[in-house]
Order: sequence, then C-alpha cells, then structure tokens
Amino acid sequence: MARVFHVTAGSGRSAARRAPRHEPAPGPAAVPAGPSGGGGIVAGYLAPHPPHLVYAENPPQNEPRSTGGWEVLRWGYEELRRRLKAHRPDVLVVHAPHWITMVGHHVNCVPNPRGVSVEPIFPHLFRYHYDFRTDVDLAEAIVDEGARAGLVTSALREEGVRVDYATIGALHLANPDWDLPVVSLSANNNPYYYSDASLAEMETLGAATRRAIERTGRRAVLLASNSLSHLHWDTEPELPEDMGVERPFDHAQYAGDMALLQTIREGPTSRLKEAVPAHIEATSSETKAGSLTWLLAAMGWPAIAGDVLAYGTVIATGNAVVEWVP
Amino acid sequence: MTPPAALVPAMPHLLAGDPAPSWAELAAATRTVGDRLRAARVDTVLLLSTQWFTVLGHQVQCDDRLRGRRTDENWYAYDYGHLDHDLAVDVELAHAWADAIDAAGMQARRTRYDGFPVDTGSVVASRLLDPDGRGRWAQVSCNLYADPSAMAEVAAAGVRAASGLGRRPGVVAVSGLSSGLTPRWIRPSEDRVEPEHDRWNRKVLDAIAAGDRDAVLGMREEFAAAAQADSQFRAVAFLAGGGAVDRPGEVLAYGPVWGTGAAVVWWNEQET
Ligand SMILES: [Fe+2]
Repeated sequence: MARVFHVTAGSGRSAARRAPRHEPAPGPAAVPAGPSGGGGIVAGYLAPHPPHLVYAENPPQNEPRSTGGWEVLRWGYEELRRRLKAHRPDVLVVHAPHWITMVGHHVNCVPNPRGVSVEPIFPHLFRYHYDFRTDVDLAEAIVDEGARAGLVTSALREEGVRVDYATIGALHLANPDWDLPVVSLSANNNPYYYSDASLAEMETLGAATRRAIERTGRRAVLLASNSLSHLHWDTEPELPEDMGVERPFDHAQYAGDMALLQTIREGPTSRLKEAVPAHIEATSSETKAGSLTWLLAAMGWPAIAGDVLAYGTVIATGNAVVEWVP
Repeated sequence: MTPPAALVPAMPHLLAGDPAPSWAELAAATRTVGDRLRAARVDTVLLLSTQWFTVLGHQVQCDDRLRGRRTDENWYAYDYGHLDHDLAVDVELAHAWADAIDAAGMQARRTRYDGFPVDTGSVVASRLLDPDGRGRWAQVSCNLYADPSAMAEVAAAGVRAASGLGRRPGVVAVSGLSSGLTPRWIRPSEDRVEPEHDRWNRKVLDAIAAGDRDAVLGMREEFAAAAQADSQFRAVAFLAGGGAVDRPGEVLAYGPVWGTGAAVVWWNEQET
C-alpha cells in the first residue's frame, strides 16, 4: 500500500512551511511588448506529467511502445495544445517536482539540453530522447530576480545533467513539436527525506518569475507539472496500460481532488491559497512540490476561474489538465 | 553463516577534493568497510541505495556493467558533483534475487536499460568501498511506497539467492540518518547536525552498537518522524533482513554532511 506520504505527509516542520500566507500578492503589472506582441504571462496550465501519458501516445522520441491508455487525460492535453498555440507564446516556463534540488531553486541555463532520459522509477515506460532550446536570457533573469528576492538560487550551466521526466513530460504533452524555447525550474524538495517545498518560497519564486518575464518582455505560458492526489499502488499490472485496473486510490482521494477542482472551476484563484494546502493535507497531493503555487503566484493570483480540460487517474494518482487565462 | 554487513553514507561530499573533517572521516571509514569486505572474501555485495528510490515493485539491476559519468542535479557546481562510475554487476545473482523476490510474493522488476542513471549514493559507495573496481554488485531499489518491512524481506531474498548460488555475499545499505539538510550553500567548515537530530542519531547508533535489534527496529518509525530520517530509515530494515542488527554493530564514524547525519557501521559475519 502507498504509505510513503500517507503517514507523515512531510514532517510537522514541513507542514508548518505549507501554511498559507495571507498578505495580498500584487497583481500583474503592465509589461513591455514581447517579440510576438504583448508580453507577460498569457496563460498558465496545470500540466501533470505521469510518464504513462507519454508512453501511451507512442511518440517517436520515446523508446517503449504501448497500446494506448489514459485517453481522456490525453484528449485534455490535445485541447491544451490547441489553446496553447492560439496564445502564440515566445516561451514555455515549467516548474517540475522531479528535478529535485536539495539546496535552493535551480534554473536550467544550458542553451541546448539534449540526451536520453531513462527514468529510474519507470524505465520500462520512459526512455525519452530530448533536444530542446533554452531561453537563456529569461532563465538567467529568473535566477537573478529570485536571488534579489532573497531565495537561494543556482544557474545550471553544466551539460550532462539528465532532464527529468516531470519536466520533459509536461513539455512534451503541452507541445510535442518542441518548437518553442523553454525555461525549466527545479523543485526544492526532497521526497526521500520526506521534506515538502515551502509554499511561501514558491510564492516568492512565482513573483520573481513574473518580474523576469516582464523584464525580458517575453510572452510566456507557464506549466505547473503536478499531479493531484498522490497515494498510489506499489505494484503494477502485467500490461501497464491495463485500464481494467485503473481507478482512484480510494473515495477520499477522489473526493479531495473534486473539492479542489470545484474551487478551481468557481474561482477566484485567491481561494486556492487556502484550498491547496488543505488538499495537500487531505490527499498528499503532488502540489506539495510547489509547482501550482508558483504558477498562480506568478500570475498574481488572478480573480478568475480555471477551466478543467480533463481529469483522470494514473496508477491511482489524480491528474487534472487545467487552464487559467488572465 | 550470517553475512558481513554495513551502513554507509549516501552523500557525494565524501569524494570532495577539499572535504570537511567529518566528510573525510566518513570516507576513510567507508574505505575501511571495503577492506573488511575483501578480507571476508565477499564475492558480491547486495546493495541498497535509498537514492535509487522507486514506487512500483522492487527493481533489480540486471545490466552487467554500469559505466558512465553522473552529473548530479544538485551538486554539479562542485568537484564531487561529477562522478565517473564503473560497476560490474553479478547478473546471475541479480536474476536469482529477482526470482527470490517474486517467490516471496512480492513484485520484482528486472531492470536492464542502456543509459540507466545510476544514483549518486551507489556511485559514491562503490568508489569508496571498491577503489580498484574489482568487486561485484547486485543492486535493488528502495520502494518508498511499500511498507518499510518489505525491505527486510527483499534483503532476506537476496541472501537466500546468494547462498543458492554458493556466493559469499556482503550486505550494504547506502543511506543517511537524519535529514535536516542545510538549505543554503555553506563552507565545509560550517557543517553540523542540528542538536535534536544529533540526539536522535546518537540514540539510534547506541542501540545499533548494543546489538539491540528490537530497540533499533522499534524506534525506526519515531526516528523517521522526529528526524526526517532518510527514506524513513528503510536501510535498517534492509540490514535487519540481511541478518545484521541482531548483533552489535561497530560504529566506525558519525558526523554531518551538509546538515544531514551520516554514519558508517560495520557488522562482522557470524556463524549461525
Ligand atoms: Fe510526479
């Protein structure tokens, strides 16, 4: 049974770090025009990354072959792709929980990350050949703004660090053509020490990300690469895409996800300052890694509802594809 | 015969060119463990590293050679963030171990993929334990979603598989103690374990040194919660399943690595 995040869901100390902050975040400021006209954050997506979704799609970049599966979530991503293209972004900025950095918030500043990402947890599903461009100016601006805001930051400039499946997964599922530059941010948390991200720091990182986007005049789409409820099975069926066994972990996990999604659908996003920590407490949600809080903080907690494009489970975890357009 | 066993640290700082005194001490003690494994004429080390953490079943490495360079995703700015490795895997034992895991009613997953990223803990431990690269390894992952007691059954399955093949195994867990990682860039000389975590680490190590198996396993869960122990200290379950822990462990070193607690502990082999 899935007990890893069930018993403690982080220590008492990390639970305290999750407590919502109440000071109002400033709204998005006026921004200079970007290369595609009208800079700033043009949309944000909750873009979960289960490698199963990439595996199920059989893209040429991924070595394993499947017979499909998890279609409803993948149809949601098809809709996301259509909408994303219509926003005509200059850059995709992704925060992902499986680039785990123990010390600080790191930003990938390597101009052309490329290689094969063999995933140590799911090597039978995910052996992905990646080759993408980084928007180095924006990446460096985020490092700079984060440091100025008092965060511990680091610019990754070393070739050879394997790009993780949460980064690749969200980027592939949102934009399988890989025809847009990318900025990839790490998650300052540590699952094997059971330490969650500080959501207060994610607010600071989000605000720093927004300032960097404004400073560089980019038209940016943000991707929060997080699943929702996160208890799941600890074994796998013979056929990984056997949908006959795919279901929520239990009713409480499902109900917790629905409560959060209802809040998202009703808006405004400021209600999520309370709802996200409560959802983490109830479902061990992967949003404990901070990606969703980062995204909403970067968008200035806009007074809008989110559009839920799909929901489904993957090895029992809850996953939703959601769009916010400020 | 109960095989010799050891707990060794997982952090790459042990390979630093300019180490803190604690890192150097822990590295020297890990080398001592390697000497003792060779003196005990161990054929293959049954290795668990908590940094190869997984969630589905128990992955057993079945590639015969794990050669490459690991660039650590957090420590890349330091010399110890760039780690060459070349591990020879005892594939026959790996497959037998996987079979024994299945036979015990658990799910083994045989892992053999080009470019598989060997975790930092395995690389650090193997380089210190086996500086000449002459040893052989059989490696299993640390399933964070399975009950910690499952790691005991996994280790026991490894020992059974080894004896079935006539191998002399050693049992090694690569893991830290308390976490409490210092969340900023520090100078090696600043490194220390916070007092409450330090107290817990010493309490656990005292029980290990006394050979009090029940006390050690009994405090695992509380230790995990109070000191955010590495992977809920599944390492001790693995070592217990491998036959250690029920006799006094020799604590060869203990100290901080970037705020976390780390120790090197040795258990002699024992006639049964
Ligand atoms: Fe994930």
